Amino acid sequence: MSLLGPIPFSIFVYFAAGAAVLAVGAYIIKMRRRRFEVPFSHLWKRVLEQKDANALWKQLKRMLSLLLILIILGLVLFAALDPTLGAIDRQARSVVILLDASASMKALDGNDGSDGNDANGKTRLAAAKEKAKQLIDSMGGGDVAMIMKVDGQATPMSRFSSDGPMLNKIVDGIEASDTPADLTRALGAAADALRDRKNPLIVLISDGAYPEQQLGLVTWDGKAPAGSAGAGSAGSGSAVKLAPKSPGGWNTKNLATVDLSGLDVRYLPVGKKSDNVGIVAFNVRRYIANKAAYEVYIEVQNFGTEPANRQLALYNGDTAVDINKIQLAPGQRIKKIYTKLPANADNRLRASLRPGEGAGASDAFALDDQAFALLPARKKQKVLLVTIDNLFLEGALLVYDNIDERKIPPAEYERNPAIADGFDVVIFDDYTPSMLPPPPASLLFFHPRGPDSPIAVTREIEAPHITEVDEAHPVMRWVSMSDVYMDRTLVFAPDARKGESTLAFAVRDPVVAAKRDGKRKIVAFGFSLPSTGRDSATDLPLRVAFPMLLVNTLDWFAGDQTDLLTTYSTGSRERVPLDGVVGATQADVKGPDGTVTQTPVIDGLATFYASRVGYYDVQAKGASGAAIAQIELAANLASPGESDIAPSSELVLGGKKLEAPEAFAITHSRKLWTYLILLAMALIAMEWITYHRRITV
Amino acid sequence: MSPAAAAAARAIAPKGNRAEDRSELFDEKFLKTLEHLHMVSRKVFAGNLRAERRTRKVGSGIEFADHRTYTRGDDFRYIDWNLYGRLDKLLLRLFEEEEDLHIYILVDVSDSMSIGSPLPKLHYAMQVGAALTYVGLANLDRVAIIPFGDRIMDRLPPSRGKNRIFRVFQFLRSCEIGGKTELADCMKDFVAQNKRRGLAVVISDFYDPKGFEQGINTLRYNKFEPFVLQVYDRREADPPLHGDLTLVDCETGDTREVTVSRALLESYKRAHEDYCKELEAYCTKYAMPFFRTHTAIPFDELVLKIFRSGGFLR
Repeated sequence: MSLLGPIPFSIFVYFAAGAAVLAVGAYIIKMRRRRFEVPFSHLWKRVLEQKDANALWKQLKRMLSLLLILIILGLVLFAALDPTLGAIDRQARSVVILLDASASMKALDGNDGSDGNDANGKTRLAAAKEKAKQLIDSMGGGDVAMIMKVDGQATPMSRFSSDGPMLNKIVDGIEASDTPADLTRALGAAADALRDRKNPLIVLISDGAYPEQQLGLVTWDGKAPAGSAGAGSAGSGSAVKLAPKSPGGWNTKNLATVDLSGLDVRYLPVGKKSDNVGIVAFNVRRYIANKAAYEVYIEVQNFGTEPANRQLALYNGDTAVDINKIQLAPGQRIKKIYTKLPANADNRLRASLRPGEGAGASDAFALDDQAFALLPARKKQKVLLVTIDNLFLEGALLVYDNIDERKIPPAEYERNPAIADGFDVVIFDDYTPSMLPPPPASLLFFHPRGPDSPIAVTREIEAPHITEVDEAHPVMRWVSMSDVYMDRTLVFAPDARKGESTLAFAVRDPVVAAKRDGKRKIVAFGFSLPSTGRDSATDLPLRVAFPMLLVNTLDWFAGDQTDLLTTYSTGSRERVPLDGVVGATQADVKGPDGTVTQTPVIDGLATFYASRVGYYDVQAKGASGAAIAQIELAANLASPGESDIAPSSELVLGGKKLEAPEAFAITHSRKLWTYLILLAMALIAMEWITYHRRITV
Repeated sequence: MSPAAAAAARAIAPKGNRAEDRSELFDEKFLKTLEHLHMVSRKVFAGNLRAERRTRKVGSGIEFADHRTYTRGDDFRYIDWNLYGRLDKLLLRLFEEEEDLHIYILVDVSDSMSIGSPLPKLHYAMQVGAALTYVGLANLDRVAIIPFGDRIMDRLPPSRGKNRIFRVFQFLRSCEIGGKTELADCMKDFVAQNKRRGLAVVISDFYDPKGFEQGINTLRYNKFEPFVLQVYDRREADPPLHGDLTLVDCETGDTREVTVSRALLESYKRAHEDYCKELEAYCTKYAMPFFRTHTAIPFDELVLKIFRSGGFLR
């Protein structure tokens, strides 16, 4: 007999002792009795005197009652240990079933033809679930199994259990994600779960579509794999019990290597077709020189063994930008670049593969037939320049072709602030209005003064030197201000709680600052630009940095990013910059299916993990919970390894070929807890009857 | 019994069933049905006044008793002239004198009598006592009522005539009740206070830890004719008890923790029955009229049927 309960025996002993003390204590505690008035207690005295002759027997009966309770308690506690007769012999096993739920398991070639039906329509995952359930149903009474879902993460779906219906139900509930599988992580988690268990077994039910790199990150003898320098880290790995001979023997690969020594790993293949053409790369960017146009990069590969015939379509929103037919030889990868495409109002781009006509149109895996990308937003901004003629400023704005500019003197703005209504950007040159234009107009200040300054001003310093700039901020990108001269500048006091941040410091004094105020963005320079009638002087307008600063600022105001707005891969965890946001602590991520999850934001970077392909909406929130900024991201499978759906009937892991699992030996075990509980219930009934019949009291 | 214990004991008794509430005790309509009853006294006692009881006295009654030789000064009207004609002797006819009877109704008003359901034993005892009093008054006997507990509480002096019954009701309603049962001491005081012998009707549950014998013997030894009426409640004989209890003696306040099992309950019922039978055997042994009744027997049934069938009333 063996005990399969989840509680360690030592803890169980403490628990049992505590319960026994409670039971005995309950017997020792004096019972509160009902009071009853009698007219002649003399008669009761006479009766009880006769009864007291049997006092010893009475005590014994009470002891018998206590003994009965202790026996009941013992039976219940013993049942909790799950005693099993003949369950754990040499053939009973602890099994971790690794069920591959990666993107490739969505391939529609789950029918293996064994039932005479070779038609598509069943996914590989459905076939894998059937095999998993067959495996569970064949388990003996002593076998216990854990279900683990394998996709970009390794997720245990149950604890070790021999409850077949429960395990089957869990298997039924597993759904495939859109991420590549991380086999190394899953094997590590399974090895950890099986540590110190007898007859450990890992059964991998999968299509075997794993990169060679992952298949090599395994050791069967507890030693580091030889010649492993330079390998990448494909997974976090966990069950590392390696002992290199010298400290110099550690490297990225053997730290990530999974030790499977002492474990029996078996493989159950699913899937049979490899016909697939997929989009493996899809990116888009605007031209730096002409932001009204963009170019697109697409890679398409044929992973099948037959020539493929496809129609590749590119959409901007719902508008088809380009549609053309492509022919791909087996294994061929083609790259297509679409140049100088004119942008429209919709920034969503989608590439789509559709089967062509005739032969070679078969495709078992639809997930990689579509890819998504986002075009950096672009629109012509209306700019209001509030200044008395400033040649430097007006000249620099000429380099920015995507604005409609209007200039008014400060006095006119003072008379009629409503004049700024409808403008996207208002630039105040050496003038600080008492009434700011309403949001969402973004504001650029040069030398804001007094209490009306949008960012608090503390003092003025003379002959400052810019010593530090925030290069991560979009406004300061590619800008060097290290030797800029200015005779004086104001010093700001940015408050991070209000969304204010410093863009440039003179030693420790913030001289350029930015602020996010809801949808509005504000940038303030502490110094004044040279102009007629001004006594301040700076050489910034004479430097290349000045038009760059203006362009960056206007781009930031417009939400543009001039560099490549990358698409993200599903299944990988990325740190996403939140467009210069400060003070945010968490962000809401709304997925393609509408589900909203929370992700932390640290130092302006949000952690992003995509499990589905499509568009994601990330909304950064401040400490008060209010939304500060919003960005949109696209996620694609973009994994040639996952698109290569050719199933492997054999799997070689760490140089060892994995065999199919043998049928489990049926061990005729018998669970005892049911009988123990029934016996305890019978004793409780007996105790109840004897108590109420006053036999044991 | 300490005041606190007595208060506690009273607190346990059902609220609407207190012996203190005696306002609804007597039903005038029922008492009218008792008018034709007579109490039977087996002994013959000397009375003060002429009444409807035969006495040993020979006097001016109408019932012939005996003859005696004529002496000078006798009333000529009682000479039996027929005997003179036959025997030639002057013999005088003697008649039995008719006198009144002294009846003492001794009612136990101790705390143990305050228990009972649906009627406290005390109420039942008072109703029976009042009925017997009425019968006595209606027959021109002299009836006294003496409530007792641990002492003689009060006393309604002997009186006669039906019109006194309302005084009796008033007395029973207002007399002091409570205390332990001290039968022996009370009977001792009773005989000391009442020199005129007569019928002593003792209505009690006889729950005296010191026993009932001494009290009854005191009456016997002092030439009273005891009439013993034991009143009990059926729940005393067969208490509906079960489980772990603290039993509180309503008179002494003594407590006793018991676990009442079926066997213990049977033992108690036997003990109660034995106690009652001891009392009955004792009365039978000394030829004293004995009746035992429980409060569930309707009061009129006891008086009209049981007393008559037992020969106590006619």
